[in-house]
Amino acid sequence: MKWAYAVAAVGALVLPVVLAPGQLTVFILLGLSAMAVVGLSLLMGYAGQVSLGQAAFTALGAYTSGLLSLHHAPPLLALVAAPVAAALAAVVVGVPILRLRGHQLAFATLALQILLLSVLSGAQWAGGAVGLQGLPYLSVGGFELDQDLDYAYLVVGGVLLVSLIAHRLVHSRVGRGLRALATGEMAAEASGVPVGAYRLLVFAVSAAFAGLAGGIYCFFLGYLAPGSFPVLLSIEYVVMAVVGGLGSIAGALLGAALITVVVQLLTSLATQPGMPSYAPSVLSYAVYALLLIAVVLFVPKGIVPTLRRSL
Amino acid sequence: MPALLTVSGATRRFGGVYALRDVDLDVAPGETHAVIGPNGAGKSTLFKLIGGQLVATAGTIAYDGERIDRLAPHRRARRGIAIAFQDSPVFRGMSVAENVMVGAHAITSAGPMSAILRLPRHRREETRIRGLAAQALDRAGLSPWADQPAESLPLGRQRALQVARALCGAPRLLLLDEPASGLRGPERSALAALIEQLRGEGLSILLVEHDVAFVARLADRVTVLDLGQVIASGPFAEIRTDSAVVAAYLGGPT
Repeated sequence: MKWAYAVAAVGALVLPVVLAPGQLTVFILLGLSAMAVVGLSLLMGYAGQVSLGQAAFTALGAYTSGLLSLHHAPPLLALVAAPVAAALAAVVVGVPILRLRGHQLAFATLALQILLLSVLSGAQWAGGAVGLQGLPYLSVGGFELDQDLDYAYLVVGGVLLVSLIAHRLVHSRVGRGLRALATGEMAAEASGVPVGAYRLLVFAVSAAFAGLAGGIYCFFLGYLAPGSFPVLLSIEYVVMAVVGGLGSIAGALLGAALITVVVQLLTSLATQPGMPSYAPSVLSYAVYALLLIAVVLFVPKGIVPTLRRSL
Repeated sequence: MPALLTVSGATRRFGGVYALRDVDLDVAPGETHAVIGPNGAGKSTLFKLIGGQLVATAGTIAYDGERIDRLAPHRRARRGIAIAFQDSPVFRGMSVAENVMVGAHAITSAGPMSAILRLPRHRREETRIRGLAAQALDRAGLSPWADQPAESLPLGRQRALQVARALCGAPRLLLLDEPASGLRGPERSALAALIEQLRGEGLSILLVEHDVAFVARLADRVTVLDLGQVIASGPFAEIRTDSAVVAAYLGGPT
């Protein structure tokens, strides 16, 4: 597997320079998705919890950064506040909803996202359905990140950061407790694993990753609207995590890359002249569904764990 | 010597049905105490009340002089109570050694921040946990399989693995839930030898078991449950001739 990491590292460093401007945007969005998916993969793979509303935390992070910078907070502070706010929100909603299991939890998180989107659309202070506009660029110590290329490398750094955090968390006392509770909750608890607190921890960490992605997104795009964080984005995260392989960091990255590329190809197909106006959404939903079904049927553990075992 | 574990008047009702009614039981330090009884006698219920997986309707459970009946299971583990469950499998997707290392949770406390920042505390504890796990694996005779996936072990070694995981938390009281059930002859005697060894080392053990021969070999004292109540308690030699016990259990086709 070593060579695969080397290829990924070289790709992440070289691609931003060689990609065309339009492709660079896709690269940045891919990286942002990857950050959220690493967290979701931890949540689903280790805590055994499904979140169908993970994009709500991306939205929370983005709006936190956006609102703070509109109110003249230093941009770096606004960016750091994004994962913090998302994690805090996860703790607050996590205490009641993590009591739920399986489908119930999935629907509860989905409901939370729909709720958040409708609050954001109606709230004057959040710009309503129009959203926030005229957001500044991110600047650090006088250096303003005003090029797509800057954000591409910022995103590469973000992906590295969340991957490192996830890796270190998994390979620790806490990580072993998490892996144990995923397959034997009662025995894990009897071994001294505080099951509830650990579930909440992973939920908060996964939210923080999504929130950080949202924060970067806000500075990259310069405007925010509730429509930027549809339920489809949450579903996209889930499909990416499942395709790559739950509980695998490399899987999360691969899943994000694969799905992003496929969706891009389909979008360019769907927006060809002569295609009906509903083609893009039909194609994306249908493809997510088909990919999910195919993976669950043929590679139930996801691509990376399956490759690992056969190598 | 005061008892390590004292169960007094433990009662558990499910709706209108008593699974356990006014049960008293204690485990002295260093003692191996067995609870036997026919199916439905309330053995598992009693076990789960002590472990914290169920809450008693009435009665108290004291451990080391303090009441523990309102503590969450993981807090009881931190006090030194370790459990090997009958129906809870090993942790899948983890190696044998990693399974055992989970047991060290009860006596370690490095949190997520020290793991993410790889603080000295994390490193120190990891080293300690590895050492404890190696010892526990050795005591349970599992060292040769340390790096194998836990779910690939045969059932007898999986039970030994659960005991090793429990030992990794340096417990003072070991609860064993029907450890011999489903095991084949040689596996059964290997497990009995392991428990005998722990008993020899002075560990207090509460053994819930269906297999009378297994209990006869290991237990200092036996409490017999029937229909949720204690019908006899004492050394195995005494209770085996008790008429109530014979009628309820030993005389039956087991």
